[in-house]
Amino acid sequence: MIGQAYHYLLLGAMILLGVLIIVSIIRSVLGPGISDRVIAVNMIGTIIIMLIAILSLYRNESYLVDVCLIYAMISFLSVVVLCKVYTGVYLQRKNMKANLEAVEDNLQHQEEEVIVVEAEGQPEQKEEEAVR
Amino acid sequence: MTGGWIRFLAAAGLLLLGLFFEVLAVFGANRFKKALNRIHAAAMGDTLGILFVSLGLMVMRGFSMDSLKLFLVILFFWLASPVSGHMIARLEAMTNQNLGEIAVIRMEKEDREKAAGSGRPGGGDESLPDAAETGPEEKGKSGSGKGRKGAEK
Repeated sequence: MIGQAYHYLLLGAMILLGVLIIVSIIRSVLGPGISDRVIAVNMIGTIIIMLIAILSLYRNESYLVDVCLIYAMISFLSVVVLCKVYTGVYLQRKNMKANLEAVEDNLQHQEEEVIVVEAEGQPEQKEEEAVR
Repeated sequence: MTGGWIRFLAAAGLLLLGLFFEVLAVFGANRFKKALNRIHAAAMGDTLGILFVSLGLMVMRGFSMDSLKLFLVILFFWLASPVSGHMIARLEAMTNQNLGEIAVIRMEKEDREKAAGSGRPGGGDESLPDAAETGPEEKGKSGSGKGRKGAEK
């Protein structure tokens, strides 16, 4: 009797958490910015940790709690790495946009390198360079 | 028998309270419009949700090694969740250019304008460009200025 009550309680909790995971996935797909997606992924990690903890009592397997602990650490690490990566991507894009001088400089260097390589390859290009 | 039922009721109450907080967190994250508000909603699920769910499972399990591990999960989450929330908020504040004016920054700017107005009347605007004032327009100006210099060369 009491075992059945525990069974239905844990089963209902797991079903509810599954529904919440689906809603969070929808938010992570719809989210307009990158930080909305990271928030949704962080929330999915939290819900999955609860799900694993409930599953460990539902199946009466104690090693699943260790899985839960490790999952918490990896989830935290993934959020930190995602934030670092997207901060770096944003800064790189902004610097590329801001520093037009450096872009022109790079293009000039590339043109010079191409001319030098072509001059080494073909003798006619050397004459052109001499004319210049 | 009644002791078992009391324990079941306590565990069920704590578990359902935790699930209620998690539902609120997911609802808030879907309902709010800005990312910083969403962090506010999601942090509630990270702290209170996992606290009450783990407490319910600990009551259900009794004194054992599993309860200690669940307690460690709570401890780790309460240490890690503010850090991750702070990093997400910093990412949002750095990348979102039309974030709007945050109240603290506006207060500092008003204070600074007041100080500048008392020191030099009329020169408050261009005295100190801070992070709140240098929006996308300012950055665009500096970028095009560099571009102009390159073109003049």
